[in-house]
Amino acid sequence: MLLTELLTAPATEGTLTELLHEVIDPELGINIVDLGLLRDISIAPDGGVLVVMTLTTPACPLGPYITDEIRQLLGQVTTISNVEVEVVWSPAWDPERDMSDHAKKLLGWTH
Amino acid sequence: MNSVGSRRKTSRPRLFLGSLGVLALLAGLWAGLILLKLQVPSPRAHFEDVHGPLMVLGFFGTLITLERAVALGYQVGYLAPSLSGLGGVALIFGFPLIVGESLLAVAGFGLITLYVAASRRQMSLHLAVMAVGALAWVVAVLAWMSGRDVALLVPFLAAFLVLTIAGERLELARVIRVTGQARVSFVVAAGIFAFGVTLSLASVSLGVRIAGLGLIGLAAWLAKHDVARRTVHQAGLTRYMAVCLLAGYAWLAVGGLLWLLFGNLSDGAAFDAMLHAIFLGFVMGMVFAHAPVIVPAVFHAAVPYRSRFYWHFLLLHFSLLLRIIGGDLAANRLSWQIGGVLNEVAILLFIASTGMAVAQERKNVTH
Repeated sequence: MLLTELLTAPATEGTLTELLHEVIDPELGINIVDLGLLRDISIAPDGGVLVVMTLTTPACPLGPYITDEIRQLLGQVTTISNVEVEVVWSPAWDPERDMSDHAKKLLGWTH
Repeated sequence: MNSVGSRRKTSRPRLFLGSLGVLALLAGLWAGLILLKLQVPSPRAHFEDVHGPLMVLGFFGTLITLERAVALGYQVGYLAPSLSGLGGVALIFGFPLIVGESLLAVAGFGLITLYVAASRRQMSLHLAVMAVGALAWVVAVLAWMSGRDVALLVPFLAAFLVLTIAGERLELARVIRVTGQARVSFVVAAGIFAFGVTLSLASVSLGVRIAGLGLIGLAAWLAKHDVARRTVHQAGLTRYMAVCLLAGYAWLAVGGLLWLLFGNLSDGAAFDAMLHAIFLGFVMGMVFAHAPVIVPAVFHAAVPYRSRFYWHFLLLHFSLLLRIIGGDLAANRLSWQIGGVLNEVAILLFIASTGMAVAQERKNVTH
């Protein structure tokens, strides 16, 4: 789906996750979904969205940048009312388990 | 209040703290001109003596503590950058030295506390490495308070920044599956460096040489394992950051080699080269790399990537080559001065270019 369609289509967890592929970790050039930082997305009946995510480390200087980007992007979706981003630390981010095969390939993992 | 208004409001105190850091940078650059033996007015006698503490603690220290405080999100965390920012102000405006030193010492303890708080969320090796870096900050200031010459603090000031950056890179290297043996080799290199730095309190010559060996080890580790080796093949901002990082690692290796060869902390060409290979080539290079993502994270001001960012990158590195090879190595005072002034121009160009990118983006959003 095109970005404009995703912004105006009725929001589902699927469309919002697809949108979050637009939030890129600039240092790695890889989006937060493929990095495995996204833990959960839920949409309340009143249209409020809760994004649960983690970061690679609690001292991550990029954390506030990424959470701002998520709020800003999802804030443009016409069919939702409010976006909250919650950062959780447990279980800790594990690249082996959490990163997608696409991200691993981009970063040169051999299998 | 809408989210933009709310973000602007929360970023105001951060902007104030960031401004204190930039003030320390500008004053430190002015003191640098005096050290370059240029005929510029000095605010007071021996103002140039605070060049190092202003640059490392007043500028880098304030921004690093601010960045950590933002990442952790505790209000009390902002005490650390506030204290280091005020410490810089005290040094600039000629308060009794003990005032600036005390503020900076407590700020250093504050940074250690921030790392302890982060470790309580998730314990990790990279946080421990960065905490040792913060400890080096504290030791540097305590040694300064005890009357030790600023030049002799250089290994500790370098350790603060080198271990902070190396710890961050170790953390990021997990995305390319740097584990086991590679992590052990990191600890060995960082351990040799930290041991040499500590030993410099008792024996400058031996300590600095061992620390130099550790720096070479860290540079080799970073050159081999850092994710920048992969991301340099991408485009735009990601590539720009990787290029800055890789150039920085080359300077770290050069710095380590100089520390190993010369092993002294007295004034002169060798000392100038030993310092600035690390603090400008490596550390400032990291600042250039990360500003387009740290500025938005800390100040809520988008910095869209511009290819012109390569200009300040190139100017920094070529002017540093001129300063160290044409000036320090060839003992040519004019090359050293021109190189030094151009180093400062590169930093000012970086600030201007980043500021312009922010302003252009604001304009685009408004229209």
